Amino acid sequence: MEATKERHGWKWLLCTPALIVLVLAASGPLMIVLIYSFLTPGNMGGVNWEFTTEAWFRVFWRRDIFDPDQVTWNEAHLTVFWRSISLSLQTTLLCAFLGFPTAWFIATRPPNSRAIWLFMITIPFWTNLLIRTFAIQELIRNNGTINALLLQTGVINQPIQIMYTDFAVLLGMAYVFLPLMVLPLYAAMDKLDFRLVEAGYDLYASRIKVLWYVILPLVKPGFIAGSILVFIPAIGAYVTPRVLGGGRTMMLGNLIALQFGQGRNWPLGAALAMLLLIIVVTALVLYLRWVNREEVRRG
Amino acid sequence: MAAQGAGQRGARDPVQTEIDIRKVSKVFGQGTAAFHALTDIDLQIRSGEFFTLLGPSGCGKTTLLRVIAGFEQPTGGSLQIDGKEVAGLGPNQRPVNTVFQNYALFPHMTVAQNIGFGLKMQGRPRAEVAATTDEMLNLVKMEEMAERKPSEISGGQQQRVALARALAPRPRVLLLDEPLSALDLKLRKEMQGELKRLQSETGITFVFVTHDQEEALTMSDRIAVMNKGRILQLGSPHEIYHSPTERFVADFIGDTNFLELPVSAVEGAEATVTLPGGNGTAARLPDGMTPRPGEKVITVIRPEQAHLVEDGPADLQAEVETAVFFGTDTHVHLRLPDGQGFILRRQNVDHMAEPAPGTRVGLRLSPGALRVLRG
Ligand SMILES: Nc1ncnc2c1ncn2[C@@H]1O[C@H](COP(=O)(O)OP(=O)(O)OP(=O)(O)O)[C@@H](O)[C@H]1O
Ligand SMILES: [Mg+2]
Repeated sequence: MEATKERHGWKWLLCTPALIVLVLAASGPLMIVLIYSFLTPGNMGGVNWEFTTEAWFRVFWRRDIFDPDQVTWNEAHLTVFWRSISLSLQTTLLCAFLGFPTAWFIATRPPNSRAIWLFMITIPFWTNLLIRTFAIQELIRNNGTINALLLQTGVINQPIQIMYTDFAVLLGMAYVFLPLMVLPLYAAMDKLDFRLVEAGYDLYASRIKVLWYVILPLVKPGFIAGSILVFIPAIGAYVTPRVLGGGRTMMLGNLIALQFGQGRNWPLGAALAMLLLIIVVTALVLYLRWVNREEVRRG
Repeated sequence: MAAQGAGQRGARDPVQTEIDIRKVSKVFGQGTAAFHALTDIDLQIRSGEFFTLLGPSGCGKTTLLRVIAGFEQPTGGSLQIDGKEVAGLGPNQRPVNTVFQNYALFPHMTVAQNIGFGLKMQGRPRAEVAATTDEMLNLVKMEEMAERKPSEISGGQQQRVALARALAPRPRVLLLDEPLSALDLKLRKEMQGELKRLQSETGITFVFVTHDQEEALTMSDRIAVMNKGRILQLGSPHEIYHSPTERFVADFIGDTNFLELPVSAVEGAEATVTLPGGNGTAARLPDGMTPRPGEKVITVIRPEQAHLVEDGPADLQAEVETAVFFGTDTHVHLRLPDGQGFILRRQNVDHMAEPAPGTRVGLRLSPGALRVLRG
C-alpha cells in the first residue's frame, strides 16, 4: 500500500511541467474571460470596469428597446445554442458511423501497409482548414461540381441548395473531424485480439452478432475517446459554419466572434464563451457517467 | 441440431467416421511465394475418439485444425463432418467448436456469460442457456467463479472456462489447439486427466493438437504424426511408439537408436540383418519395402528394448562409454564394434551397480523389437 502511494507521488512530479503550462496558458485567459463577463461593455469594444450581471442576463433574455422592464427569451441565441448542440451531436454520430468501417479497414490490413493508410488519413491536416472548407464550398455550391454533374446527367433539373444549410455545416464538420474519430478507433481496434472475433464466429454468432456482442464492446474505449475529440471542437467550431453556413446558420463560435467584432459587446462574448465551456464540461460529465453506468450494468 | 446428435451418440457404432478428410491441401500465397502448409491430407477421425495431431512447430497442425473449424478454406480436396460436405460453411455453421491456444475468452463478459455465449448465439431459450451454463460450471468445477471476469481468474481456471465454453453448445467435435502449453507442469498433468474425463463423460470427438510427444502418447486413442504439411504415420500410441515406419517418427517420439545394418536375406515382411559382430537377427520391414540382400538399411530400436547380459549368449558386444543414473533407471551409453553409438535404458531394481566406463558388455535385443525404416 505504502509503496504504491509513493510511486503515485513520483508520477505526479513528472507532470508538473505540463501542469505549469496548463495553469499559465489555460487558466489565466480563462480567468480574464470570466472577469470580463461581469463587466460593462466599452463603447468601441473593450470593457468598462463596472460590475454587472447584465451580460449573463443577455445570454438568455432580451429587453424591449423602449421598455427595459419588458423581458422576453432571446430566441436568436437559444436557436444558436440548440443548433450548436444538435449539429455537434450529429457530427459525432456521423463520424462514428463513417469512422468505424474506415478504422476497421485499416486495422485489418497487413501490418506493413497500415502505416500508409494511417498516413493517408492525416493528409487533410496538411492543408489549412480554411482552404479545405472552401474546397467543400466549391463542391456543394449551386453551380459547383456536384450540382453541375447532377444537372448534366439529368438526375435533377434545378440545382439543389446545399450551401448555407445546417446540412452543409454538418457535412463540413464531419469531413474536418473524421480523422479525430478514426485514429482513436483504430488504436482500440489495433489492440483488439482478433482471435476473440474468431471465437465468437466459432460459437455460432453471425457476422452481425460478432460485431454487436464482441467487437463493439471491445472497441468502446475508442468510441468514447473519438466522441470526445469530435464533439468538443465541433461545438465550438468557427470556420466551417462561417464559410458553409453563412450568416444564416450561425453556431456558438460565430456568435461569440460576433460579440467581440461587430457587436462590440465583449462582456456578452465572454459570457457566451463561458457558457460554451459549461456546456462542454456538463456534456462530458454526463457522458462519462452514462458510460460508467453502462459498464456497471453490464457487470 | 447438435443437441439431437448428442442424444443419439451412445447408440452409435464406435468406428463410425466423424470427420472425413480426403486429399485436403492448403497453399498460402501465390506463384513463387506459394507455401504448401498442407499437402494431400487423408484422415478419417472416428466418432467419439480422442485423436491427436502431433508434430514439430510449423508442420501445419494449426492450419489443419483451422480448415476443420472453417476459419481457412482448403485449396484442394474435400472435407465431411458427420457425413455432410462442409465446404463453404462458416465456422458458425459447423457442429465444431474450438478451444484456442490462448483461450480467447471474452474479457468483457463474466465466466458464466462466456460459457453461455454459444447457446445464446444459437438462439436457445434463456432458461436453457442458464441451466446448461450451470451444468458446465459444475462439470469444470468453476461454480464459485461464475460472476468473475476472465482477468480475475488464474490460467488453469481460464483453461477450464474455455473448455466449458466450447463444450456448452454440445458440438459433435471439439478442436483443441495446444490447450495445455501455457500451463506449468503440475497443472498440465492435472488438466490432462481432466480432459480425458471430460471426453469420456461427454462422448464428444476430441481433435487435440500438441507438439509434446509424451502428452500425445498418454492421452490419445490414435495419433497422426505430421511433418512439413504431411501426415507421416497414423496409429495407436503403441503402434507409433513401437512400430515407427519413418525415421522422422521414430526420432520425434522418445529416445531412439538408429543402426545402419546390411541385409542378408528377405522373407515376406521380415528381413534378416547382420549386427555388428556378425550375428544375424530378424527385423520387421515397413509395408511395401523389399530391400535386396547386401543393401544397407536404417533400423530402429528403443533404448529399453536392449538388455545387458551378464553371462549366456549375447546378440552383440559393446563397450561402455558412460552410465547416467536417473533414479528409476540408468542410461548406458555404449559404443558398438563398428563405431556406431547406442543408448540402453536399464530399469533399476534393488541396488544395481552402474557398469564402469571401458568395460566390455554383452547385449541382447528384445525379440521382434528391431524394425527397418523407410527411406
Ligand atoms: N496465413 C498464413 N499465411 C502464410 N503462411 C501461413 C499462414 N498461416 C500459417 N502459415 C504457415 O504455415 C505453416 C504451418 O503453420 P501452422 O500454424 O499450421 O503450424 P503449427 O504446426 O500449428 O505450428 P506450432 O506448433 O508452432 O503452432 C507455417 O510455416 C506458417 O508459417
Ligand atoms: Mg499451432
